[in-house]
Order: sequence, then structure tokens, then C-alpha cells
Amino acid sequence: MSRPFLPGADPVGAALRGFARAHAGLVELSEDPVHLRARERDPRRSVGLVSGGGSGHEPLHAGFLGRGMLDAVAPGQVFASPHNRQVLHASRAAAGSGGVLHVVKNYTGDRINFGIAAERLRHEGIEVRRVLVDDDLATDSEQTATGRRGTGATVVVEKLLGAAADEGRGLDELADLGAAFAAASRSLAVAARAQTSPHTGSPAFDLGPAELEYGVGIHGERAAKTVDRPPLEELLPRMVDELLAALPPGPDDLLVLVNGLGATTQLELYAIFERVAADLDARGLDIRESLVGTFVPALDMAGFSLTLTRLHDGWSQWWRAPARTPAFPCQDQEAIR
Amino acid sequence: MTGSSVLRRYVAAVAEAHAELTRLDQASGDGDFGDNLRAGLERVARELDATGSTGHGFEVAGRVFLDEVGGTSGPLFGLLFSEIARALDHDPATGWAEGTAAGLAAIRRVGEAEPGDRTLLDALAPASAELARPGEGAFRRAARAAAAGAHATATMRARQGRASYVGARALGVPDPGAMGIALLFWCLAAVQDPPAPPSPLAHPT
Repeated sequence: MSRPFLPGADPVGAALRGFARAHAGLVELSEDPVHLRARERDPRRSVGLVSGGGSGHEPLHAGFLGRGMLDAVAPGQVFASPHNRQVLHASRAAAGSGGVLHVVKNYTGDRINFGIAAERLRHEGIEVRRVLVDDDLATDSEQTATGRRGTGATVVVEKLLGAAADEGRGLDELADLGAAFAAASRSLAVAARAQTSPHTGSPAFDLGPAELEYGVGIHGERAAKTVDRPPLEELLPRMVDELLAALPPGPDDLLVLVNGLGATTQLELYAIFERVAADLDARGLDIRESLVGTFVPALDMAGFSLTLTRLHDGWSQWWRAPARTPAFPCQDQEAIR
Repeated sequence: MTGSSVLRRYVAAVAEAHAELTRLDQASGDGDFGDNLRAGLERVARELDATGSTGHGFEVAGRVFLDEVGGTSGPLFGLLFSEIARALDHDPATGWAEGTAAGLAAIRRVGEAEPGDRTLLDALAPASAELARPGEGAFRRAARAAAAGAHATATMRARQGRASYVGARALGVPDPGAMGIALLFWCLAAVQDPPAPPSPLAHPT
């Protein structure tokens, strides 16, 4: 038993108030309905970028509020979609002269709540488009209508869109770009231990010490398969093989994201990145950009996800464009090249 | 105005059907649909009482269901109520048909579902088609079509929403959201073209 250090009443509200206070220079919190706004935006940006979704995936999404990335976010309760009214108010606050673009992870609840908000915004005369992030390879199946889940690539889509929006691009162009960013990205995640249920203090599902959940999601649901845990030397090439096979054709220039699922240390994540990078080098692929850390976790799940994005012309410069947010690390690599 | 009397009748019908709607939702969802629909409508009734509204009241119903009602079905009902309100305000003569059609279109866009997917669309789409069709007895035809559509969901497999997770286990029981829609059109027919047709709950088709 390892109950999380959270207050019994309104843990999400407490964390959001703490977040807003700790980053008061960058973000602003409204509590009825709950949403957060960036304090600053590039004056060239005409389309507001809004995202949101269940809590428990911090720093996603509020950590990416700020100049160069998101303008407003609507956080739900843990692993639960925000109410459409939160999305409506976040979108009103963020909308620019060119309207508002919703970045939505592909889950039924998020799609419906953002969709209802979009209907209401259109009646108010605010133009809205949506970018759906659906990068999770493990849920790539013809069998279901729900499609691939949205996971790690969300941070990639939000960063690239932020920089493109700061060039003053219009709503339709940004929606098309966002769809292209998502389409060029695939992710795969594994876990050695489920996240702790905030209610029971126990892991949300049981895994033996020699087992690995292969193709796990970010809401504590079990993966489609449990495998005997292979050594890293076998596991990583297998994941890279599957990701490369699933990625639509495109440039060999890659963005690599090694993302922790909550309880995985930086020591582990950087070691994983080193092995993945060596593997990709050996395959003759060019790692142009990278990001290593915990950006889209599932509470305190022990595991990691690997995201590959094929970088088309101009995307690298958007990845490196400055972003002043609580959680996105500086990507200005000119100094070290 | 007849609109407020439609809503009043709907409040009463849903209160009466609460146990049955809950039973249906427990078979395929998380069991809170009857609670959400009844609580939302009771709140609408209180607001109509408080403001002494003489209009159709659907703008109040739209706002309450969009802003205050939980779950995903509640706000989808809110979209329908809002579109009915807008259309009745625009032209009371064509408002029901136009508003139902606009609500159907909005719910299709938002839910990314189609008739046949075991959702409230399976009652709403046939009701809308009957309201749009010229000729006598449109309200009664719409009520019957919505009830038949709701009962037909018992043989459908869900592709969207929580019911999609239980798959074949939901078979044999109508979708509660579709039944909620059938009750609305039953109330509309009872007010606009009395006497009331048979209740969609009492008479499986």
C-alpha cells in the first residue's frame, strides 16, 4: 500500500491552485468552471490553441501553457474528460481573431465534450476546428470504431502547432498541419507496474515481477497483452521495429520522445534513449530532435512510452522555436551543435 | 404557447420512467442516465417556475442540460433542446421539425455516430424524418417512429460510448438514451395532437 500524498477533498483542485500559484507569472486559473489561461501570447498569433483532458497526466496539458504553446486548457478530474462548459470557457478566453483550435486526445468522452463546446462556440460566432491526436499503436485495430488512443505524441503536436500558430497562420491551415503532425507520429508504451489507485492505495492491476504489460495506455487500463519481461536489449528493438513498421512513409528525419509514465527515473529514461538512439543510428535513420522526460504519465505507473515522429520540411524549426511554459524544456540547440 | 407544456409533460413522464431508464442503463452503461435526465428536468421545471416563463422554455432546458447535467448523454440532450429553442423562436409553425433536424445534425457531428450504432440517434433520426414529411398526424407519426427506433436498439451492438465496452452483452435491452428521446416525442404528440399515443415504455413495437 502506498497511498498518494493528496488531500482527501478535491485533490485536482488543490493541485491546480498550487500549480497556478507556483507559475503565477505564466498562467492564470479560473475556478468556475475550471480552466487555465496563459498570461502571454505572441502578438502575431491569431488562432487560440486550446487543449484539455483528464488529470493524472501532468505536466500535460497545463504545463504547456504559455507563449509558444497553448493559450488555455480545461482539466478534468483524474482520468475523466472535462465538462463541455470548461472547454467552452477556456475557448472563449483563448479565441483570437482567427478562431480557436482544439487539440483533443482520441477518447470518446473528450471528443464529445470538446465537440459540444465547439457547437456552442459556433453559435456564438467563434470559428472552431479540431486536431485529433491518435498515436497509440497498441490500439490500431480495424475491429473498433474508436480508433487509436491519443498518448505521448500530444506534446509533440502541441509544441509544433504553437510555433506554427505564432507565424500568424490561419485556422484551416493549422488544423491541417496538426492532423499532419499527428499522422506522422506513433507511440508504444510498456509498464512493469500499474499506477496506484488514489482510492485504494493499491496498484490498479497486478503484474508479476517477471511480467511486462505491452501496449499499455495512460489511464491504467490493462494492455492487450502481458508478456514475459524481456531484457532491454530485446525489448527496445522490438518496439522500434513495430513503430517503424506502423509509421506512414515519409522522411527519415525523426523526432524521438522517450516519455516516463510516472514512476520511471531519469536515469532509466536517458539509458533507454541512448539504446534507442544507437539502434536508430544503426538503421541509418537521422535523429534530428529528441525529448526525454516525464511529459504524459499515467499517475505513478512504472513504465515508459516511445514516440517517433517523422519530421517533414520546416518542422524542426517549429520544434526548436522558443516556448515559455512551466514544463516544456528549452530546445534551442544551436549553442551545443 | 404549447412548448412549456411539452416540457412539463416530459418532466412528469421521465419521473415516472426513472426506474425503467435506470434499469436499461445498468444493463449497458453506468446506470446514471435516469438520475441525470430526471435531475436535469427537475431543475428546468424549478427554473421555469421561478421565472414564471410563458414561452416554450426550451432555451432554459438547453442551458441547464449543456451546463449542469453530467455524463455525456445529458449535454447531447442539451444540444437538441437548444436547437429546438432556436427554431421555435424563429418560426413556431416549423420549429419542431426544423429544431429536431438541427439537433439531429449537431448530435451526429458531436457524437460521430450514425443511426444503427445503438445511440439516441436511433430514436431521433426517425422522429425527425416523420416531422419533416408532409401530411396529417406528423407528431403522432414521429412519436411512433421514435418508439420503434428506441426498441430496435435492443438488437444493435454499440460502437460508441460506454456500451461499446460491454459489446454483445447489451443485446436484448433498448438503449436508455434512445428511450429518453422516444419519451420526449411521445410528450410532444400528446400535447400537440391529443389523445396521447401509447407510451413507448408500455408498448414495445
